[in-house]
Amino acid sequence: MKEFNSVSPEIAAQLAAVVGERRFYMGDRVREDYTHDEMPIYGKHMPECVCEVESTEEVSAILKICNDNRIPVTPRGAGTSLTGACVPLHGGVVVCTERMNKILGYDLDNMAVHVQPGVLLQDLAADAEAHGLMYPPDPGSKTSTVGGNVATNAGGMRAVKYGVTRDYVLALTVVLASGEVMHLGKTVCKTSTGYSLLHLMVGSEGTLGIITEMTLKLVPQPGMNVSVLLPFFDMETCIATVPKIKMANLDPQSIEFMGADIVESSSSFSGKKIFPTVVNKKDVGASILVTFVGETEDELYEKMEKLDALGQTCGAIDTLVVDTPTLKKEVWTARSAFLTAIESDTKYMDELDVVVPVDKIASYLMFVHDVGEEYGLTVRNFGHAGDGNLHIYACSNDLEFDEFWRRNKLLMQRCYTECARIGGQLSGEHGIGHAKKEYLEESVGEVPLRMMQAIKAVFDPNGILNPGKVVS
Amino acid sequence: MLNILVCVKQVPDVDLVKMDPVTGSLIREGVPAILNPLDGNAMEAAVRVKEQYGATITAITMGPPAAEAVLRECLSVGADRAVLITDRAFKDADTLATSYVVAKAAEEFGPYDLIFCGKETLDGATGQMGAQLAERFGSALVTSASRILEIDEAADTLVTEREMETGIETVQARIPCLFTIEKTNYQPRIPNFKGKKAARFAEIVTRTASTIPGLDPSRIGAVGSGTIVPRTYPPERGESGVMIDEGSAERNGAKIVEILAETGLI
Repeated sequence: MKEFNSVSPEIAAQLAAVVGERRFYMGDRVREDYTHDEMPIYGKHMPECVCEVESTEEVSAILKICNDNRIPVTPRGAGTSLTGACVPLHGGVVVCTERMNKILGYDLDNMAVHVQPGVLLQDLAADAEAHGLMYPPDPGSKTSTVGGNVATNAGGMRAVKYGVTRDYVLALTVVLASGEVMHLGKTVCKTSTGYSLLHLMVGSEGTLGIITEMTLKLVPQPGMNVSVLLPFFDMETCIATVPKIKMANLDPQSIEFMGADIVESSSSFSGKKIFPTVVNKKDVGASILVTFVGETEDELYEKMEKLDALGQTCGAIDTLVVDTPTLKKEVWTARSAFLTAIESDTKYMDELDVVVPVDKIASYLMFVHDVGEEYGLTVRNFGHAGDGNLHIYACSNDLEFDEFWRRNKLLMQRCYTECARIGGQLSGEHGIGHAKKEYLEESVGEVPLRMMQAIKAVFDPNGILNPGKVVS
Repeated sequence: MLNILVCVKQVPDVDLVKMDPVTGSLIREGVPAILNPLDGNAMEAAVRVKEQYGATITAITMGPPAAEAVLRECLSVGADRAVLITDRAFKDADTLATSYVVAKAAEEFGPYDLIFCGKETLDGATGQMGAQLAERFGSALVTSASRILEIDEAADTLVTEREMETGIETVQARIPCLFTIEKTNYQPRIPNFKGKKAARFAEIVTRTASTIPGLDPSRIGAVGSGTIVPRTYPPERGESGVMIDEGSAERNGAKIVEILAETGLI
């Protein structure tokens, strides 16, 4: 553990001078929000001060001061992380990028947009759409910042067709712990120019540097889309269909799965029964929701025709078409509210964000359910069937916190061990933060972990950047 | 077998409609047109009756040619026939003129045992069409119907629940009967691919002012309307407030003072 210094009045004055008194918060002026992210269950930690930054120069000046004085710095966007990634475990300074929320400009000929890190995902998505373009990464939290998305290599539902945030980062401006400013990448389509520090930064969760500007790749906005719901009798049959859909060359944008229990929670939460629980007089145990994009109705109908035929051979009860504005809105609002629906009827919960080979989804879910049963925890799940990224929640309404946490830890350990055994990875899109740090070695291996730690030491010799996260 | 008429309307998705800040009129450009949501519930109610008792369903709408999209929605979930009434002569019709034309055009495929309407539309929200159509069809009228419990074809009676502010009322009505449907128990189903595919190129029966038999030209369009709408304007709105949440009463107070000072009010 590194030894850190606290923010003395002198240092506070220096920091305040960088951002100005109105954007500098110390002591009881620091809001409670800064002590946690969206998983407060992993613990709350108060920073000594918060700097709301507005420029690369300010971030650089702050990091120089903190590095010289060995003061921990935790970068933070909108605070929507799910692993404690933006929680200041060691106090110190929180560098908040929320005010750096400008879309700096479009390079339409090169299909790129230049943005500050505090731009919200929903704002970038809407603005790109107004330019006839699409920013494909689509993480669930639309109010997360794009800087945070890059820092965690966030994924989202469209990953099946378009890939994840990493695939859309062309260039970054990064401030190193020393305060030096580094420009990585260019607005080009490919590169083979030395080690990719750019890709090292993506997903580094603020432990190697602070991202202050980004150039992101865009694609043309698809002309139209349609979603198709395939209901099945049970989860195994449902999941077994996924690789077949991928093999059928249908190029879906997303393939999401949902079990009957989550559909039930969702309808009691919203008061609307959007996803059917009975289709053609048959009970639905699980469903997949497949989305296609295209330029013409004919093109989408052709894909639906093939999916319908495939569904029939794979045991789908029916093929339901979500193509009117009303249905799309209802279905996707309900799908987006799954996590909120679980939270609404759960006292304590922890989550897995594992990613497993697609053919192992069903068996892995069964494994987690069995372990949950063994420990008396309710297991809920939904997720991105198309890429094997599973969001599984261990929940309890009856246990006291300490007992829940004790059982939860046992469950998590077994689930992560099994995940590694079947060739999966610890995190598909939420990152490691501090919540999943202890499981990282088992997922990546001892030597790779050592290499990661060595890289961290090069970038941040004093260990001031987001200490206690990922590998530090 | 029961003969059912479902009356539907295509409306702009009001969630997405914006007001022109200068003229105050609705900007409908680029706003998707949707099946009026309560008409979707009415269609679902009709399909459930068809599934249980057997029926032929005719869906009917009046509107521009593009309104055939909502008829195809009805066909995809179980309507057997779709009628589009479209003609510039029907422009600016109020509910009086509209119900006259709809009833006249629907006669061709009647008489109907049951007629379903949504309780009201998103855009006009007059809620008058159901009552006017019941009068024109000479049928019983059950407004705010939330659940059809039983249909006795032999006795020409039915039992239905009505949703009232004070509770649920169970009523018996004679057939023919017109319902204005509540959304409570009739969440529209998601159509299946087979239905969508069949509906995609299915024939839409189109009727104009000249092809509806016996239509009185003085009773249609603006001329036939009993009301006129001289102006549409948005309700006056005050500026939206600013939420102050600084974490404590003292800090909130300080922030208020700061804002007041900034705006020169103190």
